Amino acid sequence: MAAVALKEQLASLMDSMYQEGLLDEQFQQLQSLQDETNPCFVMEVVTLFCDDAERIFGELDKIMNQPVVEFQQVDAYIHQLKGSSSSVGAQNVKLACIQFRHSLEDNDREGCLRALNVVKREYLHLRSKLETMLQLEQRIQAYDKQKN
Amino acid sequence: MAMQKPAVAPGFDVAGGYGSCKVEEAVAPDRFPAGLRVLVVDDDVTCLRILEQMLQKCLYRVTICCRAAKALSLLRERKGGFDVVISDVHMPDMDGFKLLEHVGLEMDLPVIMMSADGSTTAVMKGIKHGACDYLIKPVRMEELKNIWQHVLRKKWNENKEMENSSSLEDPEHKRRTTDEAEYASSVNDGTDGTWKPQKKKRDAKEEDDGELDSDDPAASKKPRVVWSVELHQQFVNAVNQLGIDKAVPKRILELMNVPGLTRENVASHLQQFHNNVQKFRLYLKRLSGVTQPSSFCAPLESNAKVGPLGRLDLQALAATGQIPPQTLAALHAELMRRPSDSLVLPAMDHQVLLQASAKGPKCIPFDHDVVAGQSVLKCQSNTSKQFPQSSISFESMSSGLMGWSSSHPGMSGCANNIEGVNNIQNSNILAQMLQQQQQQQPFPLLSEPHHAINVQPSCLVFPSQSVGRTSVCSESTNLNSSNMVVGYNHPSSQSNSISMVGRQVSDEELKADGVLNSYSMPGSIPSVFQNPPVNFGPSTRMPGLAPNMCTPSYGTKTGTLPEHAVGRNLGFVGKGTCIPSRFAVDDIESSTNDVRQRSTCTFDDAEVVKQELNLDFLDDIKTGNPVLPHFPQSGFTGVLSK
Repeated sequence: MAAVALKEQLASLMDSMYQEGLLDEQFQQLQSLQDETNPCFVMEVVTLFCDDAERIFGELDKIMNQPVVEFQQVDAYIHQLKGSSSSVGAQNVKLACIQFRHSLEDNDREGCLRALNVVKREYLHLRSKLETMLQLEQRIQAYDKQKN
Repeated sequence: MAMQKPAVAPGFDVAGGYGSCKVEEAVAPDRFPAGLRVLVVDDDVTCLRILEQMLQKCLYRVTICCRAAKALSLLRERKGGFDVVISDVHMPDMDGFKLLEHVGLEMDLPVIMMSADGSTTAVMKGIKHGACDYLIKPVRMEELKNIWQHVLRKKWNENKEMENSSSLEDPEHKRRTTDEAEYASSVNDGTDGTWKPQKKKRDAKEEDDGELDSDDPAASKKPRVVWSVELHQQFVNAVNQLGIDKAVPKRILELMNVPGLTRENVASHLQQFHNNVQKFRLYLKRLSGVTQPSSFCAPLESNAKVGPLGRLDLQALAATGQIPPQTLAALHAELMRRPSDSLVLPAMDHQVLLQASAKGPKCIPFDHDVVAGQSVLKCQSNTSKQFPQSSISFESMSSGLMGWSSSHPGMSGCANNIEGVNNIQNSNILAQMLQQQQQQQPFPLLSEPHHAINVQPSCLVFPSQSVGRTSVCSESTNLNSSNMVVGYNHPSSQSNSISMVGRQVSDEELKADGVLNSYSMPGSIPSVFQNPPVNFGPSTRMPGLAPNMCTPSYGTKTGTLPEHAVGRNLGFVGKGTCIPSRFAVDDIESSTNDVRQRSTCTFDDAEVVKQELNLDFLDDIKTGNPVLPHFPQSGFTGVLSK
């Protein structure tokens, strides 16, 4: 059955994400919050997270491109990203943020740029996996609805 | 993708207000703390959404807000509409700690800080700023489930504080503790959604306080002692002579050398004396408490000990500059304003007051000085101002009463304001005390039973002039459901009556930033105010105010002034006595020395008054009593504002 296959696919995707450290147990908390009254909760939160993260990256790019980099501001944004990523369980992104903040201490622009790229990379990686996950979920839900 | 606004969590009790701790109305204990009203503030929308969901799973009522400024205005608009605030530390528009400060001062709600930064220094900073708790992101469900404890703990601690100051008897403490323990399992109150811990406690307490002789059957046959002014003066002299630390009943009794007075009489009087002193101390502590919560006791103590005439407090305290100038100024103004023959205020008092007024304020940093000031002005100028009718219920003093400006009904939650207000009130009260007791303004409310009067458990009791003193008892303020304000009105020159009015203030009224607690003291009419020391639960209706007078917790224990209103009168040994009406006055005037007399106090003694002043109104100051709970009728679920 297609639905079963989908579910298996989803399950293994999730496993790999956990193993890679893309997601941590916080994500499980999110999943547990999803229920009949909030069937799209995870999707909602993931979307919020992604929108927010991309907004932050945009801001950071602006700041980093300025002749004089306002490291305080950078720190504030990264702190924010760290908070939201930890709240959704985006572990690797969170860790990259922590790293970034360490490198900020050097006030070294190049170092910051590098660290920022790491964060972006991690984020993009996570995002693509999350997209896959959400798509799978949607399809599964569609199948379940059809069945019922 | 559209944001789904989650519906109120199932099982959520909408009808009831969370917050009633009345055991008798306890719903199934396991429902508690469902319905806790939480405001979450965080600029991170992801986090906000997650928290919202989690809190709803905990069966709390959640409101989310992503801007601190918006959160503050929400809190102000809906005073008493929230039980706890969870706020992020780092926010772009306002530092979380600043918000914490504001909330603590204005609404006195428990605030939980939250941050991705879990470093010890950050956490410590949070605690230092007064956060009840500090959560480290990512926040888990389990942590959120327990936030209700902060709400209760805060409430209980405030109650304890107040109770401790009022009575030190163990049995009462035990009883209180039991009461408090019961709250743990109390739940939603379907009826009025108000916290009633105060009421409950007070009820319990009162049973105990009621009879001085309850623990001494033999003594119950003794005649009640009425502590006349003279008697009290002797008492005070003895205490001062011995030194407050060494003033034990036996020695005091010896010094006083009053035939027929027993050690027990002295002991109970001494206890009330201590209670008053402590209350006043707490009051002052509160006044200056914003910055220096614990700085006052020592100086107060030393000052408090002896005045030239062995007077406590007023002068001494004034001299220490601890009474804010506004208060003193207002008090002085009051004194000046109402000269009357029976106003015997020793010149010294005036001078001291004046001096103190002239002193720079060492007082409390009022954030809302202006408001307070305005209030004072307003108050003084609006002799017949009545409280604006609130949309809910409103009591106003009779037209003859001078009203505290009530245009800013205040939530007791506003600590700063309250302090300011209370200063004013205090001064007014003192002024009242010094006034001649004339008026008998039959308490207007008495004749208008339809006024809903929710009297706060606080009413100041203070003796009226020659005869009875008007007492205002204030118990811990338990501002009930969101907008309960006890109004103090200055009685007009005619009546010494102080009306105690509790009123529910509408939201509109509460909008003002600086909020005053307006207090009106009911005019006392002796027969009306019979004792049951009333604990006004927030929803207590005051039938004509009488029952709302005073709390017998301060009430003298020995005597009863049967016909006097409840209230603690200086110089009366007996259950709360209120200075009542002209009617009572007449009676009283006729005999001053008879121990059995009902009211023998004369008002010539600010200090005496002060001593007896039941600084219950301090409770208001404590303000700690957040108005927990009125469940807003409008089901307000989440507000996501960007």
